[in-house]
This record gives sequence, structure tokens and C-alpha cells, in this order.
Amino acid sequence: MSGGPPRVFLDANPDEEILPVAERGEPALGSDPFASSGASDPLLERVETLSELLARAEASLLPPRPAPERKVRAAAERPAENEARRRWATTPRLAEVELLERARGLEALLPESERRRLAALDHLADGDVPYDRFGFSPSAARTAFPLFLALYRFYFRVSSSGHEHLAPEGPAILAANHAGLLPFDGAMTVVDVLRHTDPPRLARAVVDRWAGELPFVNVFLARVGQVVGTRENFADLLDDGQLVLVFPEGMAGARKTITERYRLQRFHTGFVEQALRARAPIVPVAIIGSDDQTPILFDIRPLARWLGLPAAPITPTFPWLGPLGLLPYPVRYRIVYGEPLRFHERFGPDAAHDARLVQHLTQQVRRSVQTLLDRNR
Amino acid sequence: MRRVLVTHADEPIGRRIVKVLFHDRDVAHVLGVGEGPAPRGFDRFLADPDSRFAYLRSPVSRHRSVSDLFGSSRVRDAGIDAVVHVPSHQPAAASQRRLLAGLPPRTAEARLVLQQCVESDTLRTLVALGSAYVYRLQAGNSNRLVESSELALSPDVVPEVRSWVDCDMTFRAEVGSGRLRVVLLRLPTVVASGGYVYLNPLLSGRGGARPRPMGFDPVCALVADKDVARAVRAALFAERSGVYNVAGVESVPLSVLGSWTRRPCVPVPAPMLGIAAGLLRLAGGQVQLDRISGAHLRYGFTLDTARAERELGFRPAYRIGVATAGDGERRLETAPI
Repeated sequence: MSGGPPRVFLDANPDEEILPVAERGEPALGSDPFASSGASDPLLERVETLSELLARAEASLLPPRPAPERKVRAAAERPAENEARRRWATTPRLAEVELLERARGLEALLPESERRRLAALDHLADGDVPYDRFGFSPSAARTAFPLFLALYRFYFRVSSSGHEHLAPEGPAILAANHAGLLPFDGAMTVVDVLRHTDPPRLARAVVDRWAGELPFVNVFLARVGQVVGTRENFADLLDDGQLVLVFPEGMAGARKTITERYRLQRFHTGFVEQALRARAPIVPVAIIGSDDQTPILFDIRPLARWLGLPAAPITPTFPWLGPLGLLPYPVRYRIVYGEPLRFHERFGPDAAHDARLVQHLTQQVRRSVQTLLDRNR
Repeated sequence: MRRVLVTHADEPIGRRIVKVLFHDRDVAHVLGVGEGPAPRGFDRFLADPDSRFAYLRSPVSRHRSVSDLFGSSRVRDAGIDAVVHVPSHQPAAASQRRLLAGLPPRTAEARLVLQQCVESDTLRTLVALGSAYVYRLQAGNSNRLVESSELALSPDVVPEVRSWVDCDMTFRAEVGSGRLRVVLLRLPTVVASGGYVYLNPLLSGRGGARPRPMGFDPVCALVADKDVARAVRAALFAERSGVYNVAGVESVPLSVLGSWTRRPCVPVPAPMLGIAAGLLRLAGGQVQLDRISGAHLRYGFTLDTARAERELGFRPAYRIGVATAGDGERRLETAPI
């Protein structure tokens, strides 16, 4: 039997071959039929037209309503600050990095190219102290990176594509799907971005506020460059020209059960508001594999609420094996970076105030990620 | 030309502000007011009979003495037109016994100074120093805060933070005033060469060990005392009123700051913090129980200073780092950028 995906033939017409979705170049079941053709969504267009008509009729009857004052106000005031700063946190190109110190500990096991990448991150520290303002410590990253690189290479055996969509500098948002209870998908994406960019870029993953309350975990996450997802943190990272990794599904993605594998949950909209305000492109990212790393059979929500936890999962191994049961299975990861969505080229920063538009743009990002997932599974 | 009155001029930050203003050609006269005798550092300023500097001993936390001060001939004759209010460095918890009219001294001072400034016919500018610990901290090792971030208005905040919030709201209420220009500068932990720390709820005060909750090591934003004085000078001359975050470039975790300033922070399991504080007090430490609780010991913050940069023209000019002193000890130092 030849290699490649199996072909299926219909009984009625054996000449008619049904190819797998990926080979046909058609979107898979559940994906957006309009995303690949480049056309806009006619249904959404119709809904918009209808709502515009209603708004116009309403405007003729009622006095104009002030724009809703929402939490985004503080963030929307910032473009002027952004203009004033223009001091992007950048790292030097690999060829310019000098290795001044001898590697110590686990870092000594790394090849020189990887050590150069880590050395380049020293430039992200603020002023004369070995920390940046979010608590990132280049020396802590040096200690942690070899462990995560081992997971990347030998445990999850990560392969990736589409790195040409990662800009070498300037602000950008990586919007990825989230799954697998423990955030190894985020860790593997951070390692992958660091390994495939020159100048090396540190993706600053935005983590749930709940993680900030956990003893030790909050310190570890901060030292390796992750940031709690507040509006101010997000805005500051983008104003600083950094690469921000977001999981717009939030915890709903991480705790989804096995029946919802590779089906994206509802996206939060805050990252689109920030992208519009900071004029940053959004790169859709599909992470294939994380949905299989910890198959959740049930999530006992009442128990989770009672314990104050984001989830109370039952998996084939948890709670039967204790905390060890939460460890991910050694699944293969595949990370795909899609074409950047440059909403800021069509809409100005003020568009961040328009809740309906932001919702619509968020749906576009969601469809892009879902399409990437369906095509690469 | 400005004629400036500086309160708490005998305390470290007040001394630094007086020095900077004294050497400023655009400041015609500086009147320092403090509770104690004039610091020795002022001797050379006071030695000259034609000096542009004078020092008055007067407590600013008592109504009578404050009204006497602002109505005195010394203030009138000096033609004072601006006041720089430096809050007391003394922690609120340590001064709980000296409540004035139900208010901690720091809050009472803020109200009295503001009242005198508002009622005066000659005063046009009030620059008040506040604390950035007034912000409500979200969970997380470090949170970026802007001036519009939420304040810690919860009734269960520790007295130290509550007194800062009270002062902040007192001054902020007059920011829009037409006849008095009020500038409120929110400062994070202020550090000075030699490993000195001010306005930090945990590390202020004498050296020595402090307990901190295990598993948390919040990032502390820092600003050099010389930069604070420069920010005050910028606020005096900027012709703007408002609330501004002022901070340096650097920020470090609490444990690192403690080790740089000879105040090691010992991680202790949260339920044991009270016992640890008691033991340290028995050993001669200065740790108050209410200063080692609260969100500010678990969650950190840094300040976005873009507004101060844009409107006041303030940019930090001093870097903060660790250096080896003559005695071989490594401690915090500040140096020009």
C-alpha cells in the first residue's frame, strides 16, 4: 500500500474519488467557508445592513446616544503616549550577539546557537538591573529554557511552519487556540518563536489572573516572561513593541472536554481592542496536539466553583494517579502561524470603542484560527 | 521666579528637595519647615546671612501651628507662592497612638496644608507627594499601572495604605480648582545611595530582617530620591495640574531590594507571618504586624510615567543598581544616567 492518506471511494461511482479535506484544498467541516475565498461573510453583512437600517431609523426618532463609556477608555487614551515613546524593546540579531560568559548549569548543554538566542534576551532588562518591569529575568530564562527545549524536542516533538509571518520587530499579537488543562501549548509556542526568529523574540504570553494568585507559580511565570492579562499590561507590552501571545478562549479552552476537541470556544474581544489601539497585526496561530495531551472526560463545574478552582477535571489518569495524572501525554505538537490580520490598516484606534465592530473582527480571527486548525490536523 | 515652602524638610526626601531647589536659579527663596531641628546638611545654606534659604521648626500635623505658620510674618515676608508638601516618612501604624481628631497624622497634615493653601490669597501652587501604593493591585507578580487605574478603596486595606489613599483623595479633590494649581505626584519605593529606602510599606524604617509571604516575590518599582526632587522641580514650573506617576526605569523583586538595602526579606508561610513578626520584634526589629499583610506584599506593580514625561517634562536621570562599597559590602547605589 502506498503512503499518504487513505482514499475512500463511493460505491455508486467508483471513479469518483473523495480526497481528504486537506488535499482538496477545501475548508473542513466546521470551518468558515468564506475565509479561504477572501470574500466577506454574506450573513454577517446582511446582519450588519439590517442593524445599520435599524440604527438609522432609531437615530431619526431618538436623540443621538453617547458612545458607551467602557473599560477600554483608559487604553484608548494611549496612542499619543505610544507616539511619544517609540522606544521599542528590541534584541540584537544573532550575528551581533557576543557570548561573554561561560555557560553554567543546564545552559552548558545547549549548542552555541541556542545560547546566543538566550544571550540576546539580556537586552530586554530595564536599566541597570537584571529584570524588566514585568519581573522577567534573563538569567531565570536561561535556567528554564533547557528544560522546556528538552520537552519541545523529545517529548512533544514539535514541528512548526509559517514563521515568515512573525515580524522581526514591532508590536504583534499571536492569537492561538488553547487546550490541555496545563499551558504547555503556551510554553511550546514561546520556545518555537524564540528558536525561529532573528533577532530572537520572546513571546510574552498573557496568563489568566488566577495564575497570579498561585504561590510560586506567579513568580515562575513572571521570571520567564509571562504577564498577567490586565489591560494596562497588555497595552504597555504592545507600546513597547513586543510580541504578545494570547489565548482568546481563556480558561474555557483549557478545560474543554474530549467531545469539544479542536472546536474553538467563544473568543474574548479585548485583544482585538488592543490591536486596533496599538496598530498591531494579529497573527492567527493553530496549535495541533494540545487538545489531545490531557483528554478531559468530564469537568465537574460545581465542584470547581466550590473549591475556587477554574476546573475540576476527570481524565483517564486524574484523579486516579494523583497530581501525576495531570501530566500531558507525549503527543506530537504542530504549530502553524497564519497570515497576519492587519485590521489597523482598515480601522483607526477609535474603532476600539465600537463594540459591534470589535466583536465582528474577533469572529474573523476565530475563523482564521479554526481554518488553520482544520487544514493542519 | 518661585518662592517655595517645603514641609517635612528635615526628613530625607524633604532635605533632598530643599537642596535641589536651593541650587536652582529659578527659585528665589526656599523656606524649609520641619518638626525637628535643622539638619546639619543645611548649615552651609543657613550660614550666609543673605541666604535664599530659611528653616522653621513647626509641626504641620496640628491645626494651631499650621495656621500660625501660614499666617506668620516669615511666610508673608518671604513672599511664598508655592508649597511642596512632603508627607511624613513615619509609617502610619507606628503613629496610630497619635491620632489627631480621629485621623492619622499623615492624613491630618494633608488636610491642614491643603486647607491653608486653598484659603491663602498668595499661594498659587501646591505640589504634594503621594504614594503609588494607593492603587488596588490585581493578582500578579507585576502589574503596570497608569494614573487612571483603580485605587485601593476597600475598607480592609492595611492602615499604612489607607492613610496614603486618604491623602491622595484629599489632594485629588482639589486638582480641578481654578485658583490653586494642585499637582499630586505618586511615588513608588524611593531609594537613595547607601541602601536607604523610603515610602515602602515593608522596607521603610530601620535595617534588619522582615518576613514576607512564601511563594510571592512582588516586583517593586523604584525611583531615586534625586529624581523625586527633579520631579518636584518639574511640577513647580510646568504650569499643569493633575495626578502624575513618577518612577525610575528600574524595578526589582522585593527579595532583591531587601538584600540590596540590608533588609533581608525572609520567606515565611502565610499563616506563620504573625509569629515571625512577633519573633523579629522581640529580637529588636521594627516590624508591625499590619505592615506584613495585604496585597502589596503578594502582588507587585510598576508605573507608567508617560503622562509625567509628556506634561511635566520629567524623565528619570538617575539609574539604580547595586555596587560594592568601600567596606566590601554590596548595596544599592544611584548614579546619573
